[in-house]
Amino acid sequence: MFNETYPITAGVLHDQRRSLTVWGSAMAGITVMYVSIFPVMGGLDIEALVSSFPDALVEALGYNEIGTASGYISSTVFGLLAPIILAVFSIGVGSRLIAGTEEDGTLELELASPTSRRAIYVQRLGALWADIVLLVAVVSAVTWAMVVGLSLDVAFMNLVAASIGLGLLVLGFGTIALAVGAATGRRPVAIGVAAAITVVGFMFDAIGPTIDAGWMMAVSPFSWYMDNNPLSQGFDVVGTAMLAVLPLAVGAVGLIGYERRDLMV
Amino acid sequence: MTSVVIRAEALVKDYGSVRALRGVDLEVEHGEIFGFIGPNGAGKSTTIRLLLDLLRPTSGEVEVLGQNPAAGGPELRSRIGYLPGELAMSGNRTAREHLEYMVRLRGGSGANRLEPLAERFGVELDKQFRGLSKGNKQKVGVVQAFMHSPALLILDEPTSGLDPLLQREFLDLLLEAREAGATVFMSSHVLREVEEVAGRVAIIRSGEIVDVENVRVLRNRAGQHVEFKFGEVVSQEDFAGLSGLTDLEVTGHSLSAVLRGSPDGLLKAAARHEVVSWSASNLDLEELFMDFYRMPDET
Ligand SMILES: Nc1ncnc2c1ncn2[C@@H]1O[C@H](COP(=O)(O)OP(=O)(O)OP(=O)(O)O)[C@@H](O)[C@H]1O
Ligand SMILES: [Mg+2]
Repeated sequence: MFNETYPITAGVLHDQRRSLTVWGSAMAGITVMYVSIFPVMGGLDIEALVSSFPDALVEALGYNEIGTASGYISSTVFGLLAPIILAVFSIGVGSRLIAGTEEDGTLELELASPTSRRAIYVQRLGALWADIVLLVAVVSAVTWAMVVGLSLDVAFMNLVAASIGLGLLVLGFGTIALAVGAATGRRPVAIGVAAAITVVGFMFDAIGPTIDAGWMMAVSPFSWYMDNNPLSQGFDVVGTAMLAVLPLAVGAVGLIGYERRDLMV
Repeated sequence: MTSVVIRAEALVKDYGSVRALRGVDLEVEHGEIFGFIGPNGAGKSTTIRLLLDLLRPTSGEVEVLGQNPAAGGPELRSRIGYLPGELAMSGNRTAREHLEYMVRLRGGSGANRLEPLAERFGVELDKQFRGLSKGNKQKVGVVQAFMHSPALLILDEPTSGLDPLLQREFLDLLLEAREAGATVFMSSHVLREVEEVAGRVAIIRSGEIVDVENVRVLRNRAGQHVEFKFGEVVSQEDFAGLSGLTDLEVTGHSLSAVLRGSPDGLLKAAARHEVVSWSASNLDLEELFMDFYRMPDET
């Protein structure tokens, strides 16, 4: 059924089945590794260690709450590893799904088929979003299993809030890559723009608080995601809304560019 | 149904500062097999991509099956079968997966012809695409283009990579498609590939159509190579000034020349001597065609 209604999304996901398995396993492994260290660290009095760091460094590293389970998981898995690794995945896939297939010519028959450019764009974007939902779900499910298994103090709804934030954040970077690729037809440009926005956003979020530059946090998607510590504080409506608007807006602009352009398959 | 299937008027296409098409005019009629011939970089693929709405014209008009390609959109493309000049398909899928994917993109159309066509061309359906030889890849391209019995076939250098046997099979398929009412627009570098099936051909060079002609007329224009052996020594003067005769060479007992048009004058002149043997062979159209290639660029 899905195969007939959304053949392009289904085709992409089918092609990705092996690589998704690898990425999913890697994300699960990393999550297990990091979360399982937390109880061990309890004995090391990590808070005392961190409190000896300069305040600015603690702020930049986001280690303010490193002694609590939610603070620790925020600083490691949700605030650092998952966003960065998944951003790499998302930008790689997003740039390939349209610009990459246009460059290597494999999109040509699809474009010449009775499918509109809009359908191609939306269905390929849909595949990217499905990938990210899947990988974030793996991270979240494994985290929840660890939380329950190790009796850590993390509220389920807060984990849901953080997962939604993480998903939207990563989806934003991937959508930028896909949209820039669709508007330009150039994969390197797509990767360059999306990676630059990711890195600058990450740096603004880290540096902003230490030099009192509120505007840096105002424009950084990482700040929209992590500023209010969803793992300990739960949903942040404004931040979540900003994270949701980014991919939708960028996605729409990319589509407009894609429908108007010469395609160089 | 309109009788003109492809119409281009003063079609211009620029890639940045490069002008690939400089005002192409074309009319392809319903039910014909139309050859589109030109050397590398002449603008064949560019024209074809404009027909499929992959590219948008810089200026000029283009109509396919009575519609502007951009306005016609998916509905228009559902009636077109396209074989790209450089076929690229994801290497990870098998040929069958690729063909079934095309069927799904076409809403199920062509599913029943997948197997028979694949069998006819000996497509290795269950091999990964990357493992196929160039010719075997091209077969997959041919099958997907014909599978849904489209009203218009747009084929960019379709026989590249096919061995002679399969070229034969392919030409038969073309004739069958025309029999069933389809129109065919096919490009090639060489006339020889389309000569046998095409009705008319357009010759494009440096983004301009330099000639549109019936293949038969082209053939007549290409002429015949004639040779005579005489029982006696003949002289050049005996044959000078005959109409349609060029490249005349008379040496001792033999004569060779290129003849275009009626052989009457030549035969009567030859009959005044004792003719030992004679032969006439059709000149390769390619030689005529080469003249078009070599024509000076008048831009
Ligand atoms: N993407 C592009 N960017 C810039 N110039 C291009 C592009 N594609 C084609 N051209 C130029 O446009 C002209 C026509 O190219 P086109 O591909 O239409 O030729 P062709 O007749 O199909 O040639 P071939 O027989 O080699 O396939 C050439 O001069 C080519 O260099
Ligand atoms: Mg070409």
